[in-house]
Amino acid sequence: MPVTKVLTAGIGEADLRNIDVYRERGGYRQWERAVRELKPGDVLDLAEKSGLRGRGGAGFPTGKKWSFLPAEKPLRYLVCNCDEAEPGTFKDHMLIAEAPHLVLEGILLGSYGIECHHAFIYIRGEFKRGYEIFSAALDEARKAGFVGDDLFGSGFNLEVTVQRGAGAYICGEETGLLNSLEGKRGEPRLKPPFPAIEGLYGMPTVVNNVETLAYLVPILEKGAEWFASVGTERSKGYKIVSVSGHVQRPGNYEVALGTTVREIIDIAGGLRPGRNLMAVQPGGGSSACIFEEQLDLPYDYENMAKAGSMLGSGAFVVFDDSTDFVKAAHNLVRFFAHESCGQCTPCREGGHWLERVLERLVHGRGVSGDYEMLLRVSGGITGLNLCALGDSIEPFLKSVLLRFPEQFRARVLKAKETVPV
Amino acid sequence: MTRERDFPELLERVTPECLRIIARYEEKRSALLMLAHVFQEHEGFVSPEAVLAISEMVGITPAETEGTISFYTLLYRRPVGKYMLQPCRGLACAINGAEDAMAYFREKLGTSNLETTLDGLVSYEEVECLAACDRAPCMQVNLEFVYDLSPAKIDELLAGIRAGTYPVKAMAQTDPPGRTWEIRQDDQVSTGRKAPGATGVESPNNAGGVGDKSGTIMLDKIINRDVEFFRETRERAVLDSRAVVESVEEGREEAEHARH
Repeated sequence: MPVTKVLTAGIGEADLRNIDVYRERGGYRQWERAVRELKPGDVLDLAEKSGLRGRGGAGFPTGKKWSFLPAEKPLRYLVCNCDEAEPGTFKDHMLIAEAPHLVLEGILLGSYGIECHHAFIYIRGEFKRGYEIFSAALDEARKAGFVGDDLFGSGFNLEVTVQRGAGAYICGEETGLLNSLEGKRGEPRLKPPFPAIEGLYGMPTVVNNVETLAYLVPILEKGAEWFASVGTERSKGYKIVSVSGHVQRPGNYEVALGTTVREIIDIAGGLRPGRNLMAVQPGGGSSACIFEEQLDLPYDYENMAKAGSMLGSGAFVVFDDSTDFVKAAHNLVRFFAHESCGQCTPCREGGHWLERVLERLVHGRGVSGDYEMLLRVSGGITGLNLCALGDSIEPFLKSVLLRFPEQFRARVLKAKETVPV
Repeated sequence: MTRERDFPELLERVTPECLRIIARYEEKRSALLMLAHVFQEHEGFVSPEAVLAISEMVGITPAETEGTISFYTLLYRRPVGKYMLQPCRGLACAINGAEDAMAYFREKLGTSNLETTLDGLVSYEEVECLAACDRAPCMQVNLEFVYDLSPAKIDELLAGIRAGTYPVKAMAQTDPPGRTWEIRQDDQVSTGRKAPGATGVESPNNAGGVGDKSGTIMLDKIINRDVEFFRETRERAVLDSRAVVESVEEGREEAEHARH
């Protein structure tokens, strides 16, 4: 299957940051149509029928997420999650900087779908440029009458607020994000209650990824059937895959879900000459590796889960035979240990200890029993935390421990080499 | 100091902007991060005076503000260099040569991670994934991206910064920076965690808590059979026992003798 261009259409060809260029290409037409002709329920229906699932990592059906909002509470919020920081993911970064109006139109449609009057977008602190671009786009849209009070004379009011983060991966977790948006430490909350019941300021809140909301625009334009006709049985539509690592042409490629893993590698130019594939991490830093024998699997939510990994945010990292997996495991574990908010003991302490053990393995100073200890400790972190960050430490580590045990065992000091006490 | 004297004037200047930001939210406190960004932009860091001002504007205690700000690594609570160099150490960069780039930086700057050069011009921090993995290894200079790092590119960048011709705007610098902007428990300990403690206070209050690594460092030393550590321990044990002091003294004498 070839690369398709739905959200990525026009990026790199036209200046989509300019509202006039965006409108010439049909921009904001769906927004106007929605407010003038459709009921909020229609937008929700379209989202549900299209089979659109969350593109930020969890893959939760978007329409279903919206339908959890309690009907008796009219005050509710939509929050667009642009705190993209998962190692290997760089799609939201591109969308916000190259197609800010598309993202904004997605946010507007989402807000209309859940009937909220104040939407927020939380942009990662490091994307200062993206924040400036998006803020400028928002001002333009406000001037053009797409954001504000009494839109298109319908009486529907909608305000959008842009917030910058300040360097914390955990704020990508939806309840951590809400705390950060409330001006607190970005520590995840205990769930339930889920944000759909008690979210921002204690009100029902929907948190959606940038890419998820942006897909609402083509879905409204071309219909739910069009979106649902692409993909596999339960994974519908398209997905931007961020391919990086040891490929010749790394970058963002939009493909239909169900394209095989091998095809995606080929789309990104394949491996460098003379190199062999060792592993692919199909869903960002939190996902387990898949290996050569699984390359012909369709890239969708179900098949990645069946292979023991996940599709996650679509961060697709390719490793060839030049990779030192002990270093790679240390790198990712260090990331999670660094980004742990420190609320839950298994994640805070477990991650830190794994990092220490892996560090001495990297330096070839492991002690006997380290290999088993890594498996035991990482298994002891999973499932015992408030949020998914702790559970994200194990998958990659375990998959490479089981696949390349010799790389780890070779770093253990032999008895005669230890310095005598 | 000048900055403290100038602060009331700065506060007056940014107050309208701050009020506009606060008005965007249902609850004042939500504006906290954005306000911290505003002050950091003008002062180069979030100063203690700024913490007080923010607290007053959003109606919470300084401790709450401080507690919130200390969670976020992009908000600096001590002065930093005019240029913040942040190479990415994430996995996709790491497997494409980020380690070499970072080693080159450290060599050229004469600093290690989380340190500012002695002239106060450049601060250096190795950061987690910056979401530009397709152009690895990448970095940010004052939050502007630089892609596809190579030694030549790094040389050019540093030369530009030193000559004052680098196209990225320098950060405000109202106070001369110290060696590091991270608040640490103990200067001997290199930490990579969110910093505990209060502004400008190397507080012992967190001893043994999150971020206190003394225990784990000792264990590491035992596990790694750190020769130096064991020698010291043995010496210490020996000194405690009077009976053996003499033998140690003898040993010292012998050592002195051998040296002469």
